[in-house]
Amino acid sequence: MKDKIRHAWKLLRRRPASLVGFGLIAFFFAVAAAAPLIAPPEKNSRDAYLIPQDGYSPDPVRPSAKHLFGTTEQQYDLYYGMVWGTRTAFRVAVVVVASSLTVGILIGGAAGFYGGWVDELMMRFTDIVLAFPDLILAVVIVTVTKPSLSNVMLSVAAVSWPSYARLLRGDVLSIKERDFVSAARALGASDFRILSRHIIPNCIYPLLVVASLSMGRIVITAAALSFLGLGAPVGYADWGQLISLSRNWLLGSNGNPFEYWHTVFIPGFAIFFFVLGWNLLGDAVRDILDPRQK
Amino acid sequence: MLKIAALILLALAACSKRQASKGFDPDTYNYLTFNDADSLDPQYEYDSASEMVIHNIYEQLFWFEGGSTEKMTPLLATKVPSRENGLISADGRTYTIPIRKGVKFHDGSEMTPEDVRYSLMRAMLSDREAGPASLLMQPLLGYPATRDDKGKLNLNAYKDAARAVTVEADNVVLRLPKPFAPMLSILAAVPNACVVPKKWLAAHGDWDGTEANWAKFNNPQKQTSPIYEQADGTGPFKLVRWDRATKETVLERNDGYWRAPAKLKRIVIKSVDEFNARKLALQAGDADSIYADREVRSQVDNIPGVVVLDDLPTMEMNPMLYFTFHMNAQGNPYTGSGKLDGDGIPEDFFSDIEVRKGFAYAFDYEGFIRDVDRNKAIQATGFVPYSLPGHNPDQKKYEYDPGKAAEHFKKAFGGQVWEKGFRFTMLFNTSNQPRQSLCQILKHGIEALNPKFRIDVRPIDWPAFLDAQQAHKLPVFILGWNADYPDAHNFAFPIMHSKGMYPFDQHYANAEADKLIDAAVYESNPAKRKKLYARVQEIEYEDVPNLVIHDGTRLRVQRDWVKGFVPNPIYCDPPYGTCFYTIYKSTATEAAGK
Amino acid sequence: MTRFILKRLAFLPLVMLAVTMLLFAILQFLTPEMRAALYVKDPRQLASVEQIIDKYGLRDPVYMQWGRWVVQVAHGDLGYSETAKMPVADAIRAFFPATLELSILSFIPILILGVAFGTLSAVYKDKWLDQLTRLVAITGYSLPSFVLGLLLLMIFYGQFHIFPPGRYSLDVDLLVHSDAFRHYTGLLSLDCLLNGEFNAYLDVTKHLILPAATLIYIDLALLLRITRSSMLEELGKDYIRTAKAKGVPGPVIVRKHALKNALIPVVTLSSLIFITLLGGVVITETVFDFPGIGRWGVVAAQQLDIAGVLGSTLLASGLFVVANLVSDILYAVVDPRIRVN
Repeated sequence: MKDKIRHAWKLLRRRPASLVGFGLIAFFFAVAAAAPLIAPPEKNSRDAYLIPQDGYSPDPVRPSAKHLFGTTEQQYDLYYGMVWGTRTAFRVAVVVVASSLTVGILIGGAAGFYGGWVDELMMRFTDIVLAFPDLILAVVIVTVTKPSLSNVMLSVAAVSWPSYARLLRGDVLSIKERDFVSAARALGASDFRILSRHIIPNCIYPLLVVASLSMGRIVITAAALSFLGLGAPVGYADWGQLISLSRNWLLGSNGNPFEYWHTVFIPGFAIFFFVLGWNLLGDAVRDILDPRQK
Repeated sequence: MLKIAALILLALAACSKRQASKGFDPDTYNYLTFNDADSLDPQYEYDSASEMVIHNIYEQLFWFEGGSTEKMTPLLATKVPSRENGLISADGRTYTIPIRKGVKFHDGSEMTPEDVRYSLMRAMLSDREAGPASLLMQPLLGYPATRDDKGKLNLNAYKDAARAVTVEADNVVLRLPKPFAPMLSILAAVPNACVVPKKWLAAHGDWDGTEANWAKFNNPQKQTSPIYEQADGTGPFKLVRWDRATKETVLERNDGYWRAPAKLKRIVIKSVDEFNARKLALQAGDADSIYADREVRSQVDNIPGVVVLDDLPTMEMNPMLYFTFHMNAQGNPYTGSGKLDGDGIPEDFFSDIEVRKGFAYAFDYEGFIRDVDRNKAIQATGFVPYSLPGHNPDQKKYEYDPGKAAEHFKKAFGGQVWEKGFRFTMLFNTSNQPRQSLCQILKHGIEALNPKFRIDVRPIDWPAFLDAQQAHKLPVFILGWNADYPDAHNFAFPIMHSKGMYPFDQHYANAEADKLIDAAVYESNPAKRKKLYARVQEIEYEDVPNLVIHDGTRLRVQRDWVKGFVPNPIYCDPPYGTCFYTIYKSTATEAAGK
Repeated sequence: MTRFILKRLAFLPLVMLAVTMLLFAILQFLTPEMRAALYVKDPRQLASVEQIIDKYGLRDPVYMQWGRWVVQVAHGDLGYSETAKMPVADAIRAFFPATLELSILSFIPILILGVAFGTLSAVYKDKWLDQLTRLVAITGYSLPSFVLGLLLLMIFYGQFHIFPPGRYSLDVDLLVHSDAFRHYTGLLSLDCLLNGEFNAYLDVTKHLILPAATLIYIDLALLLRITRSSMLEELGKDYIRTAKAKGVPGPVIVRKHALKNALIPVVTLSSLIFITLLGGVVITETVFDFPGIGRWGVVAAQQLDIAGVLGSTLLASGLFVVANLVSDILYAVVDPRIRVN
């Protein structure tokens, strides 16, 4: 195990890009972990994710000592929102990837393992979900289940699992025929045991590679839903929503087009670097886990 | 790559050249707004975007003079009926309306009294679901709909309507079952009283005006009306095109108009969702006026060549907060535990007047007007806005007073509210900033009183809001009221009468208010009516069934060459919904200055 | 081959039917009041929501509503989209050409740049060109389209006052809808040229540039990556090494041997990219206020305009099935070793 880690570290060091990715995610993780310290919630606040407001005036205010990143429209403190929004971003990424991966494994695994009509049924269902324009399906799901952060996660997971299912099914199909599986079956192992002990562990790596690569995409999709006004309630620390608050202020004031630059640039670049971090890290994971790609 | 760059540069150069060459065009008026019409059939539509277009194509019998909400001038009629000129009978139940001659529809046919009769009948008998038909049916027939609660058609409706509206010589005569004070107001302001061409409509497959056929055209589908996307009115402008893909309406001058033709030749009304795009078009001079919310006021200041007309009157009460006296407790996610145990509210929480008064004193009215209205509003004193007769500036109003608020909360539910606290959810419809701020300011005021008082503020989208509101699940709800016609009755009934829209949803009833409102609508003496409405507003203050927040104003953003705008809050969605007849474009004063 | 194509095409209506069933299954969760919200345009109508529910049959169970819809479609009527304010068929005719135009304008550069730079990047592995290409790819892949779109708008529209959002300016709008203007192809920029309206053509192009640039930058990344890795794999194969050893010049190897084989996954991916573009690029169209299929679909979805959602998703899912088919056929054409069955 130690060797493996050392090997991974060596690979990581050889690719500076991966190091950058690692650094970015580590940075965001540190911000998320330290949120209560670097952006302490107001004393009477019941939910730390609610961004404090300094008055209700519609005009954004530029960064100052009082508000490090300035305020958005309706005076939400952008710094506070960015810091706590980091936690939201991690939560969305991890929950969505984990849940869509689970669904993908269940459906793809069952389809590949049992074959026959189970396979046919599950794969046709997968095809149908794939044929759906995913953002529109996600919007329908969120609208029907009422907009909220958890429903955004649900809807993004609902449109992301099919690619995992397809991938896993293919791998299961090929591994199923191998000798060690037949041997286990001959020894009378149960279906569940064969699947969980022999098949899944042997085809999980490509899946993990794809999962780590899709982390960034998922964050973008969730942020896009927030941007359309379907995410967390206004004032909840969420990057996608913070950037949508900037839409009316893009042109700045008259004579100074960059008067309200902070409302676009800060949340915009945070999303960008967060996704970039995952993508670079995903590349690294692929290099480590998937030797074929080297 | 280089080629592409070169091409882009070329395109850039060409664009900038074109932009510079664009000049001032006195004939075409471009208005950029944020919503598109729903239907151009005056007797179907019930939204301000449609009304704006319709008011320029079709005409009514009367119209309001200048900026007045009281004084009328005849349009397709030749006289405004009154008791003095004898055209309103002594009992106030018969209106004789002489119809103008020589007015032509856009198709060239002559407008006759029969067209007027047909139009009023069609407005009542087509009666589309949730439409405006009741506005005419209530005064003319005495009942508000052609169908009962189960959707069964009242077959007598045609006979009743034919009895109420008749043609006698060159007059149209209206016979009301009871006197109805705002009758003329309704005829002048409500677009479904616009006159449409009977022959043209019948020839294009719409109702032919006969009793045999009316039921077929009752509760129609929007798109089946021949004047859904076409138009044939008598007004100063003709419809050229309504393009629903690009959300734009093009009108051109009606040169055969019965008054002097309009000054503008062509009008383009286009819906552009993004505020930035509207602003840039205005800045470049491509748009002559644009829609801008109060929220973005700071962004339209100081643009060269652009003027902002502010402090324009409105005819609305928006937003208002309504308390639900008895909530539906079943599966209600908004009332917490559903008990008065500090973690919820019981279903009759707001039926205790001390609770309502506590809320009324805990809202920072001044703060709202400062931050949300940018000080361009005054605190409302009752449900009648200041632009209408019946408004009483001396009516007592609630002030932000945490001390008094606490006092009332301490008395509520025998002191239990204060002792145990409460928690519930307050909703506002998504992306409505003033309503959001209202919730937050109220939450702030309430929670500062007692740490056990908790309000969760949440946005909700329209479908979910409708669902909860229809099921009486919302502890409080925030909505506005935009008037159909300028009369205190149009506010008093929906806001204070137990059969009105809001009290019905709130389960609020005050017998005295009902009696006063019923009496006021039959009363013909304006001074007496004013007194009756003043008393209803007193009751509103005493009972606090709702919180009136502010009397707002609106702003109009236009190029400085736009002249002739008449601010009148009756124009749909004022002041953006312009009647273009009086408007013209001129740079004359600038030239003189040079 | 023909049989395969026919079989797959026969599958198309089934997929579409299943898509609508799935959609209606989701709608099962809505109450009649929520479905009625689409028709309530003004708070003044709140008192009569019941009437709306009755008129549109919104209280009926979802399978009945679905059945009604299917019968209606069988009669050639796709229904009426309340958000587009026109019949669904008309809405598709109105919005699809705009999306098609944007898709073509974005897809061609994506294909050319993607294949060219992807190949170069593989050939010059780890050189500066490769590093640069990979940087472009990874940043493009990491940028949300709304962030890029807003930034572009802020700079090119807010600061320099060029490249406005929308599909055309007001004066071009009047021109395009005048009687004199003939619609030959439905593609507006092309039609402008055919009508001899060069200024209008420039205007239309000007409106297309920012959304196209956004799409190009973001979707280029995928194609770059796939081309590069597929090319690398091919270049590492034995026959290439043999050719090299035999002294065949590098460019010839790349052009004549490696590229052809490496293009197989590229073909599949690019047909998928084109189809996703055609299905409507929701966010980009929304940010740039561009009247295409995607924006219509998402507005319909947000307002629960069921007919509108069905219309736009049927179009997108139909295209998806066709695209898969086309890519399979292309696969067989490019690589004769693969036989379709």
